[in-house]
Amino acid sequence: MAMGVFITFRIHDFPDITVDGSFVTGAAMTAVLTVAGVNPWLALLLSFLAAGAAGAVTAFIHTRFSINGLLAGILVMTGLYSVNLHIMGRSNIPLLSEAGVINWIKTLNPGLPYEIWLCLVFGLILALFWLLISLFFRTDFGIAMRATGNNPAMAAASGINVNAIKLTGIAMANGLVGISGSLVAQYQGFADIGMGVGSIVFGLAAVIIGETVLPMKSIWMKALGVIAGSILFRLMVALALYVGLDPIDLKLITAVFVLAILIAPKILQARKAKTGAAADMPSFIRHRAWALGLLAVAALCAIAGYALFKSNLFAGKPKIRIGVVQMSDHALLNLTREGFVKEMKNLGYEDGKNVALDLENASGDMATVNSILDKFIHNRVDAVVTISTNCTQAAISKIKDRPVVFATVANPFIIGAGASDTDHLPNVTGVYGAVPMDKMIELTRTILLGKIKVGCIWDAAQTNSVFNVNQLKAEIARHPDITFAGATITGSADVQQAAQALVHSGIDAFVLAPDNIVFSALESVIREANARKIPVIIADVERLADGALAACGYDYTQSGAQGARLVDRILKGEKPANIPFERYSKLTIGINPDVARKLGITLPASLLDKATLITGGTQKEKPAKRLAVFVFSDSTILELSTKGILDELRESGTLKKHNISVDVKNAQNDYPTAQAIVQDIVRQKYDYIVTASSLALQVTANGNKTIPHVFGAVTDPYRMGIAKNAADHLPNITGVATFQPVESTIAAMRAIFPKAKRIGLVWNPSEANSEACTLKARAAARKYSFELIEKTVSRTDEVKDAVTALVTSGIDVFFTSGDNTVILTQATVAQILQRHKIPYFTNDPSDVERGAFFCVGADYYQVGRETAKTAIRVIEGAAPKDIPIHEYVPEAIGVHQGLADRYGVVIPEVFLKKAKVIKR
Amino acid sequence: MISLRDIHKKFNPDTHNEVYALRGVSLDIADGEFVTIIGTNGSGKSTLLNVLAGTVTPDSGAVLLKGKDVTRQKDFERAKQIARVFQNPFMGTAPDMTIAENLLIASLRGRRHHLRMGLSASRRIFFAGQIKRLEMQMEDRLDNIIGSLSGGQRQAVSLLMAVIQKPDVLLLDEHTAALDPKSAAQIIRLTKAFVESQQLTTFMVTHSMQQALDLGSRTLMMHQGQIIDDIPAAEKARLSPDDLLDKFAQLRKTEKLTDAMLEQLRREYR
Repeated sequence: MAMGVFITFRIHDFPDITVDGSFVTGAAMTAVLTVAGVNPWLALLLSFLAAGAAGAVTAFIHTRFSINGLLAGILVMTGLYSVNLHIMGRSNIPLLSEAGVINWIKTLNPGLPYEIWLCLVFGLILALFWLLISLFFRTDFGIAMRATGNNPAMAAASGINVNAIKLTGIAMANGLVGISGSLVAQYQGFADIGMGVGSIVFGLAAVIIGETVLPMKSIWMKALGVIAGSILFRLMVALALYVGLDPIDLKLITAVFVLAILIAPKILQARKAKTGAAADMPSFIRHRAWALGLLAVAALCAIAGYALFKSNLFAGKPKIRIGVVQMSDHALLNLTREGFVKEMKNLGYEDGKNVALDLENASGDMATVNSILDKFIHNRVDAVVTISTNCTQAAISKIKDRPVVFATVANPFIIGAGASDTDHLPNVTGVYGAVPMDKMIELTRTILLGKIKVGCIWDAAQTNSVFNVNQLKAEIARHPDITFAGATITGSADVQQAAQALVHSGIDAFVLAPDNIVFSALESVIREANARKIPVIIADVERLADGALAACGYDYTQSGAQGARLVDRILKGEKPANIPFERYSKLTIGINPDVARKLGITLPASLLDKATLITGGTQKEKPAKRLAVFVFSDSTILELSTKGILDELRESGTLKKHNISVDVKNAQNDYPTAQAIVQDIVRQKYDYIVTASSLALQVTANGNKTIPHVFGAVTDPYRMGIAKNAADHLPNITGVATFQPVESTIAAMRAIFPKAKRIGLVWNPSEANSEACTLKARAAARKYSFELIEKTVSRTDEVKDAVTALVTSGIDVFFTSGDNTVILTQATVAQILQRHKIPYFTNDPSDVERGAFFCVGADYYQVGRETAKTAIRVIEGAAPKDIPIHEYVPEAIGVHQGLADRYGVVIPEVFLKKAKVIKR
Repeated sequence: MISLRDIHKKFNPDTHNEVYALRGVSLDIADGEFVTIIGTNGSGKSTLLNVLAGTVTPDSGAVLLKGKDVTRQKDFERAKQIARVFQNPFMGTAPDMTIAENLLIASLRGRRHHLRMGLSASRRIFFAGQIKRLEMQMEDRLDNIIGSLSGGQRQAVSLLMAVIQKPDVLLLDEHTAALDPKSAAQIIRLTKAFVESQQLTTFMVTHSMQQALDLGSRTLMMHQGQIIDDIPAAEKARLSPDDLLDKFAQLRKTEKLTDAMLEQLRREYR
């Protein structure tokens, strides 16, 4: 596409607006042919020819009639709108499951990740394309074409048929644009009449960026520049969205960026003229490229800085920065964190004032831990504080150049932090808790009285485990009515068997001393123990939620505070190498009453009093989930729907219950933005998507195949290619279809005007929704013995004439259904109809405010709520593929009593009773 | 070789701005003749050249080239036989393309442009040889962009481009008028050399009486759309610029020239 614009803009010297139309021509041709089963390569070729023909027409008008190129382009583009609609037959053709060149490429994938494969293939295609274009412009013909654009008078004097070459060039350029449109349609999964808007701007931006980045004059470089500019431009858009720019701001930033690149050469040239630099070519180019490169970097920095500012990463500039990372949103880990932060404050470190605390949560995912640590390094933290064993382990292996302080770790030695309290990694120090075995036995004693046999599993190869177990055995030896049974293991695979064996040998409880392997296979132990209702008492309070009955650990809050004190010492200058690990000895006793209930054990009140932690439920803490609500634009209907969705989600308590955060994204009625948003949603791995509007549904359905997607505020999902019927639909998508109550409206017409014969209807064929409604209207009109007279329009200024024409030709009632073009001129339409006393029926109850007579519509706020209800089913665990698409048309009626009086009709009681809006 | 038969041309006919540029001009030029044309402002000299080149189509009359009627032929079709150098040194070359590429375009004048590689090795050697004729040391700058050359250099290249593929007629439209004296002299020298070596049939419109007399084998004087005098070589040899001016003065006597125009002539051609 950019190459096409380059050929017309730079070689033939006029920006060819035709591309906005020929882009769609290419897409339309391909869509229609592919759906009809034509070979995709042939379809591509025909698209090229069709779009090229469009370009030829522009060229013909320009050369033959000497009409300004810009104007010629606009004329043809306008005409192409109709032509394209004729080609497509409708305003939107879905290509989701059809064969195509892109799909063919997919099938050739030898097993690489999809994106990487596509990149490779496209990279190859781009290289080939670059080669062919550059070679073309080095042939006699190509050079003649360039000469024609550069100096038409000379070209003519040199025997070049200027008009013929221009025609060929412009046709070729538009043919390329057509191919681009074809490929985009296949990639995004549909061809839509509006997808070409803004193409010329993109093309020009790409050309200009390319020229600035690669200002060399050779044709190889120029062609490469166009390709590079095109890619850079798209990257910039993706980058801006990735750092969290609002789509509204995105357009502005893009414009500013391109403007900066446009202005830069002029400024430089002015400077050069002033200083009178020598016209020695090589150094001039180098100079300029340098300066322009700097300018581009500066522009990028401006964007990045703005984005960062917006994302609140820079809240002022405190001197010290500390990164705190915890494994998950576990209550115990939170306690440590809070203890840490509180103690830091006590010590004089206020977050935001003289210190910046980056508090991060890995949501239970190790990969996230690593990227968080990377971020800390990147942000130049002065110290890293880790909470939980896994984080600590990752940190000490990754970070060697700055202090790492662990604030909650059961055993730092087994993760390689050191050999003893004083002999440890030089940049690492921290607080750990060793659970005393005597306390374990004491705890066991409190729960189980009388003679008991306790079982323990451990890895005989681990010094720490052996040490602990020996301590345990020694303690048990001091209790005459406790006997010990032990089983050793060498790997996690042995744990289950060992547990089984102990259970069979008749133990009354498991008492597990800290052992890495056993703890990692804890579920096996718990499973075997639960089968015989044997309680598990464990030396790690972190594992309480996994099904252990009771645990002995240490005080997490206090250990966080102690960690803070260590950080303070380091910040004041002490080297971590000189700070020995500290043991924390204040105990925590934790119990799990759910497990107690399941095992049928009553816990003594004294224990419950002593226990510092009670964990309820056997479910792990739910990690935070994210839900994206995506709407295509800001229309009233969508605003209502969105409100309905958000209200239902909030009021039902679902958000709180499942710890879900909601982000609302709005594409501002722009295709490329919509696509970028969907790609962003997929990239950021949202857990759920809810869409409002047909176009949002379509774009999302194509760009997202895995995230559960619930749609609402859609008139006809079946026409979009989402589903064949309510039950047979794409597996990750379900939702609510809200067909316009066209039939109800026409039935009402019959009821109120029993003698009426002719219905006038105005609609815009390029709106998919209008099309669906018109088809319904035709059927309903037949059913109720009406004659439907239709008039089509393509722009708002045609509406008035269409309505007037209908009125003149004699209609009894007038109807329009949610057609955006007509809605925009509603006041005028209502006025004309009122003047001629023709009742105006619509499908939006609020229209009575603007002069309509009678409206049966869907209450979109309720539609939004119903959509949210469906989404809640998915959040609660139902799979979208098991939920059939259901129709939901909450009818709301609007009545204009004043007009009824004026027309002398009586509105039947049944409607008045149901009416939501009554205007007098 | 070339004949003009009763050419009439009016610009903007029947309007306020009507200009009757050529009023029945007839002319016969033989093969190898070097014709210089001088005349007053608006005498139609440039229009005459344009009619010959084909950028202007006459209202009536005929242009015959080697016996064939080419009156209606478009300019680019005629370019096969007719080469032209413009007054504006920036008009004759494509500024954003290299010297080599420009020479290529020139060498393909009148021939079909195919999809073969433009600047092949053999062609480059040929161009390097050609550009030596200019004696401007541009042999190793063939890949430089033309835009970097000075006006004089560009005009020289334009001239070379006109003759690189021997044309049947060479049209020179005041091609030194926009140059400084030194460059102008050089261009005239080259013009003489090229025309003589290739025996080109040449038309040169000039603003300099001296040039008109020094060059060429025939000088035409135009006034108000007509050729008023046709001076053959023998007579030219005996004339000086003052003599020519006297001739103009005589015209005044026969009321063909006004005082004002005479004054203007004197000023222009001094």
